[in-house]
Amino acid sequence: MDRKIRLAGSLAAAAALIEGALYLAQARIVRPAGTPTGLMAASLAQEGGYLPDPNRKYPERVLWGDEHVHTGWSVDAGLAGATLTPEDAVRFARGEMVKSNTGQDARLQRPLDWIAVTDHSDAMGTVGELTGGNPEMMADPTVKRWHDMMGQGVAQATAATLELVRAQATRRMPKVLMDEKWVASAWQKTVDIMEKYNEPGKFTAFISYEWTSNAFTGENLHRNVIFRGNADTTRSLTPLTTWATGDPAALWAWLANYEKTTGGKVLAIPHNGNLSNGRMFEERQYDGKPLTKEWVEARARWEPLYELYQFKGLGEAHPALSPTDEFAGGELWDTGNLAGITKQQGMLKTEYWREALKSGMRLQRKLGTNPFKYGAAAGTDTHTGLSASEENNFWGKLRSSEPSPDRWEHLFQKEQSYVRKDWTLAAAGQMGVWATANTREAIWDAMKRRETYATTGPRITLRFFGGYNFGAADANADRIVSTGYAKGVPMGGDLKAARTGQVPTFLIAAMKDPMGANLDRVQIIKGWVDNAGKTHEAIFNILWSDPATRKLVGGKLPAVGDTVDLATATYKNSIGATELVGSFKDPTFDPGQRAFYYVRVLEIPTPRWTAYDAVKYRVKMGPEVPMKHQERAASSPIWYNPA
Amino acid sequence: MGAAVRGWSIRALLRDPLLHFLLIGLALFLLYGLVSPGEADSRRIVITQSQVDDMVRQYQSTWTHSPTPAEIRGLIDTYIHDEIVYREGLSMGLDKDDAVIKRRIRQKYELIAEEEDHSAPTDADLDAFLKAHPEEFLRPATVSFDQVYFDATTTSPEAVGTVRVALQKGANPATFGQPSMLPRHVTDGEIDLVGREFGDNFGKRVAIAPVDVWVGPLMSGIGVHLVRVSSRAPPVLPPLDQIRAAVEREWESDRRSRSSLDDYRRARTGYEIIIRAKMP
Repeated sequence: MDRKIRLAGSLAAAAALIEGALYLAQARIVRPAGTPTGLMAASLAQEGGYLPDPNRKYPERVLWGDEHVHTGWSVDAGLAGATLTPEDAVRFARGEMVKSNTGQDARLQRPLDWIAVTDHSDAMGTVGELTGGNPEMMADPTVKRWHDMMGQGVAQATAATLELVRAQATRRMPKVLMDEKWVASAWQKTVDIMEKYNEPGKFTAFISYEWTSNAFTGENLHRNVIFRGNADTTRSLTPLTTWATGDPAALWAWLANYEKTTGGKVLAIPHNGNLSNGRMFEERQYDGKPLTKEWVEARARWEPLYELYQFKGLGEAHPALSPTDEFAGGELWDTGNLAGITKQQGMLKTEYWREALKSGMRLQRKLGTNPFKYGAAAGTDTHTGLSASEENNFWGKLRSSEPSPDRWEHLFQKEQSYVRKDWTLAAAGQMGVWATANTREAIWDAMKRRETYATTGPRITLRFFGGYNFGAADANADRIVSTGYAKGVPMGGDLKAARTGQVPTFLIAAMKDPMGANLDRVQIIKGWVDNAGKTHEAIFNILWSDPATRKLVGGKLPAVGDTVDLATATYKNSIGATELVGSFKDPTFDPGQRAFYYVRVLEIPTPRWTAYDAVKYRVKMGPEVPMKHQERAASSPIWYNPA
Repeated sequence: MGAAVRGWSIRALLRDPLLHFLLIGLALFLLYGLVSPGEADSRRIVITQSQVDDMVRQYQSTWTHSPTPAEIRGLIDTYIHDEIVYREGLSMGLDKDDAVIKRRIRQKYELIAEEEDHSAPTDADLDAFLKAHPEEFLRPATVSFDQVYFDATTTSPEAVGTVRVALQKGANPATFGQPSMLPRHVTDGEIDLVGREFGDNFGKRVAIAPVDVWVGPLMSGIGVHLVRVSSRAPPVLPPLDQIRAAVEREWESDRRSRSSLDDYRRARTGYEIIIRAKMP
């Protein structure tokens, strides 16, 4: 051994010993009476231990990414002053230092494993021409005015963006911006960049875009379109725009045609039903006609995932629809649609994921296929090119919400009945994928089979299996993966009809973000359709920290506590658990009823990005601004299908 | 004529710099007249067939059908209209102090600067770049290790110490510790991935821990560990032919970002900049 290495080795050993000594010197270790010390492993037969099976095919490491990233090449982002390109976005995601749109040094604390840059196809690539004053564009007085507003500071630039978003949302886009020639050229450049940065085994850069339908008046029906293949099956196409129609069925037809003509594969991820004013999961076709067999089949075929968490609010559930869910509130954008048109209470019913999961099963009884069989996806929807969902490293939604002392009170949009400011942005959206390799093909395949979960940012490790042959002893962190795959199905899967007397058992293992907060609890959320065709939901608290002191009372669990210090924007992991592992056998199981089960994991309270801003910039924000929250992860469901 | 006119002699006149200046000016004027298209041409607009073909092509790509003869005449009229108004505008100085025009020209200029050099890098270029930025291309250091995990909140330091002694004496590690989702064995794990999975500090510790000895307790982001490193590989700089695509990509990205900036810096040295304002 080289002398230097040996020296380093002994220094390390010394460091380790010192660290160990510090640990050994800790005077007080809290050990609840009656808890076994657990020093002896439960079993000698450790699967996944010393000699792991080299041929096992299941995914071993969760791959973190963002399926929703806009750069300055998206017309609204560019108009708002974003100059970063898809190349910058990919470099940032890979962990490199990038100059932000406001000239600040930006870098992720932990790189992503994969990214899908999803610039809007509508008017893609027009911003460079618009900001550069392309004469063909300046001939249009509206475009000329936007161009001029962009030169008049951030506030004007943001106002121009909102005008443009509204124009697009309400089908009043200037003709020149709708010219497909800009799109094709920007698309080819995007594909070339993704090819350059996609490194199988190391980092995946998907070829992707966003299809941005806003119906007629700003009802958000957006879909991220993600291709499995490489340039050979994507470069020569022109992404579908919504100029001809905003009907999602037109997108599905385009996707089908794409697969037929190229042999490639593609899927779409809808998002922001919360801004659709009831249209995202409406139970009729775009033109108002009743649903058909073909329609539900197409939707199920092309859309395996739904984006639950992102900057513009959480779309998992809404308290008005799930009154017994004490964690459904917070980070909700439920005041209007994308254009700020006021939301009526009745619209909520067809905007949120959990309700759609329930409705989908009800429709399946009638139409034979579940059109809303959505697994869990998450992304940021950043319009800065910076995919940053870390609370203490939040780079904002638009250029105007990049870090600055007063960004919290910047106007985001004046809606009809609500003045939305930037403090309402959620620093949310990381997606965990259980793929067998870090490649386009493997990650895409995992998305397609829904072996995915969504988090609001933290890298919580989450495993979830369902099956009929699990015993309580299978809920062992060392073995859960091999047992889970051998005897059951993972998240996103389907359970076959139960034989007489069979009841499904679920295995769950959740581990805290190794660089983040401890866990409060693990819940199973069940939805089902009763024999009369009515839908229901139930929330089971199944695992939590400090079980010796926290006891269920009427199904409810006492709060975990709160260690957040807002004066310093810090928290302590002196409460909560590092890992929660267990099983769940549904006490209300009815073999004749269609049902889904998904897992939700909650962290202990931590500072929100606004709290970090308040400390860093020494600003005092209004009482309406939330300063802490409980971050979370939600898995794709496992569906139970009766005979 | 006399030798002197009011004290001016021919010789003196011939030596007068003003005359030199005027003569040079006249010569330049005549020369310009010979080589420039002249006043007449600046008031002449010629439409060539290839220009018309371009207009038609542009029209087709926008509207996906060919223009009718009337539309072609319209395109030509528009072109003439544009050209005349453009020239009149220039002669009125309308291009001066216009932010839109400045930005457009800057955009074109920078694009040219960026794209000026299309030549592919040679092996020598790439080799030099690789040598100058080895850290960007290193295959990361890897480590193989076994670890025994303890929940720090339920396990006493004394108990962990006892297990370490037992392990050091050769006890079977599989019989100790608590179940965890963390792997008990890691084979050839990249240090930064180990750091991401166990927490940064743990990754750094394992990267330098001695080989074949049980050490610890080491703290991770999850809990407490006893660790035995079985092998380690230092970071390796692969030869160019194994990483050519990545080096080319970084070389190009570097060239692009530098070329427009370099060009600007070069141009700037030719300017004297005077700021007559309070700098914030």
